[in-house]
Amino acid sequence: MLKTEELQINIGPQHPSTHGVFRMIVTVDGETITDLKPVFGYLHRNHEQIAEQNTYLQNMPYTDRLDYFNSMANNQAYAMAIEKMVGIEVPERAEYLRVMMVELTRILNHAGALGFLINDMGMWQTQLAFGMREREKILDLFESASGARLMCNYFRFGGVVRDLPPDFIPRLKELLQAMPAFVDELERLLRENEILMQRAEGIGILPRDLALAYSVSGPVLRGSGIPYDVRKAEPYSVYDRFDFDVPVGTVGDVYDRFLVRIEEMRQSRRILEQVLEQLPDAQGGHINPKARQNVRPPVGDVYARIESPKGELGFYLVSDGSGKPYRYKVRAPSFINLTPLGDMCRGYKVADVVVILGSIDIVMGEVDR
Amino acid sequence: MTITIQRGEVVEVARGSQRRRAVPGMGLLDSLGVVWKHWRESFRQNRDFSDIHGTFTEQYPDERPNLPEAYRNMPILLFDDETGHEFCTSCFQCQRICPPQVIHMTQAKDTTTGKAVPSVAEFIIEYDACMSCGFCAEVCPFDAIKMDHHFELSTSDHASLTVHKQELNRPVSYYQSIAPTLWEEAKAGAYKKLQGNIKRRPDVIGIAPHLVDRIAARRAELAAAAAAAPPPPPTAPAAPPAAAPPAEARKLTPEEKAAKLAAIKAANTAKQSGATPAETPPAAAELSPAEAKAAKLAAIRAANTAKQAGTVPAAEVPPAPVDEKAAKLAAIRAANAAKQAGTAPAAEVPPAEPAPVDEKAAKLAAIRAANAAKKAAAEDNETERN
Repeated sequence: MLKTEELQINIGPQHPSTHGVFRMIVTVDGETITDLKPVFGYLHRNHEQIAEQNTYLQNMPYTDRLDYFNSMANNQAYAMAIEKMVGIEVPERAEYLRVMMVELTRILNHAGALGFLINDMGMWQTQLAFGMREREKILDLFESASGARLMCNYFRFGGVVRDLPPDFIPRLKELLQAMPAFVDELERLLRENEILMQRAEGIGILPRDLALAYSVSGPVLRGSGIPYDVRKAEPYSVYDRFDFDVPVGTVGDVYDRFLVRIEEMRQSRRILEQVLEQLPDAQGGHINPKARQNVRPPVGDVYARIESPKGELGFYLVSDGSGKPYRYKVRAPSFINLTPLGDMCRGYKVADVVVILGSIDIVMGEVDR
Repeated sequence: MTITIQRGEVVEVARGSQRRRAVPGMGLLDSLGVVWKHWRESFRQNRDFSDIHGTFTEQYPDERPNLPEAYRNMPILLFDDETGHEFCTSCFQCQRICPPQVIHMTQAKDTTTGKAVPSVAEFIIEYDACMSCGFCAEVCPFDAIKMDHHFELSTSDHASLTVHKQELNRPVSYYQSIAPTLWEEAKAGAYKKLQGNIKRRPDVIGIAPHLVDRIAARRAELAAAAAAAPPPPPTAPAAPPAAAPPAEARKLTPEEKAAKLAAIKAANTAKQSGATPAETPPAAAELSPAEAKAAKLAAIRAANTAKQAGTVPAAEVPPAPVDEKAAKLAAIRAANAAKQAGTAPAAEVPPAEPAPVDEKAAKLAAIRAANAAKKAAAEDNETERN
């Protein structure tokens, strides 16, 4: 084989397919990647340090800004950490509402992630537009419940900010009715599509052992064939009351991650239907029993984690007994999932880098914090 | 390898059927079919959540978005339509909770005593840094701060995004029109608290600036009715100068001090005269509480006007003689009214069993009014000299 001179090129930090400001230093031999070094930090906003200056409640809207696709999931992880620390009981209805919101978040995240993945492959906006439309419906629901589409700030310590508006449940039922058609159509559009298959099959393989070594989580880990889901491994909230399956891939390539996400949308719909069946009425107790403005957890530390749409999202908090966290650390799934990027890309072509990056599904707001 | 998990199973995703793959291009045709279907349906309007076809675009500038009640954009302050009373009592809860710390407020001070009162003098929200989290509206115990639905805030003037109280004030009817159910829930509590505040501190609960005229007129009417006094009600606040900007308001402190001093002096004199009751004929009068109140109100108003008259010409270099005169006139009238309220019943009621509280209040008010008028006159002279 013809040996060519190695060349180092920069992809990013400002690049349309880097999902934000993210830089990759790529060493190429011709078209083939010999090395890739991800460079983070261009979107660093001092999130953790700011959080240590704020009171516990004031951090809630800041968590929205971590992974701005999934503000509800971020809220839940943070609220859970505080509840664990202080020992707050969450009313049952509030737990169900939380699960409902986070599963809706999962659907909209995956719809968006798949859309952007296809966009990265060069199919432009067609699929993205389809995904965005379903996302829009969910965002409408979020808006009617919480008041905002993206920065929901809906969860509070010990509940949620307010109960659902009266038209929420009927609209959600309509949405769930439309979901199977949407997911089926998505599959029909893409699953067997030769263009997608050529770009995705056998590309960006992350072997099982490497996935474990890098401690990736979420659809990336499950795509590599490891059935690990925090909702099953360590059921939090009321997840132990629902039937749902954990989809896993077999090869660990881009295609598997894509398929896992599609299947997860179906499973989320299953959970949502069970939530609607089991949802207790508000008679059992006020969903936001008391506005907890001044939480003063006892001295100690806590780690609370959830299965966010992107993987295991954890909040590690250390309290010194005051109203502000002494240490506040976010275990951001996007960040951890991004670390094996170099190993995933090695040996593939330059054009595959954006596809592999798209299949990890990152949000830079969470990576850099 | 099989892994068992609770309530569910691990499913391996299928990587495509071999049948489809046998014919190359089949998947592509399928995809095109989907796109074609969507294109065909795109001529149909569809706002139904249960259907995934059809356009659901909102023609935004022509068609206004249908915002849910809970929608929150930026905070606003509420005041009562009827009376103009602001709900805010400057309790600083919102300022404390605000995560980006963009709320700044100054507590109002009683103009005569200089004591802080449950009313807000200036309320500033930096809209440009506000993150619309809605905490301020959530923690407000008086339902004074609410989240607006107005979202078209783009401007080329950055300074205008630091919003002051005048621009933040909205009538309750406005909030009711954007969020009827939410207001219905909060209404009873909000009004109850407002009424309680008004009852406790009748003259200091803030009034929306653009309603000052109307409210003052109405209050004057009420006062006149209560006192049933023949002279026309004091009309001084009917011509209030434009609210002084905060920078100038801060310069007022020495004058406020003077006012305080005057109040203390008046109190002292009242005490002294209380010690020698023979010298003060009106002191023996027994006043009804309403009359005493009216007198007090008049006194405070006179003091206010006097102060305003004193400060406004100081801010504008050429003194406005009309304002001054009006203020003086008002002060004199107020003093007269106070005196009348004090003296009229004195003629009827024999000077027996004095009610000490009422007496003192009336006297104090009268003295204060007189002092304020004197001071206003002195200040006028000063400004003229300047």
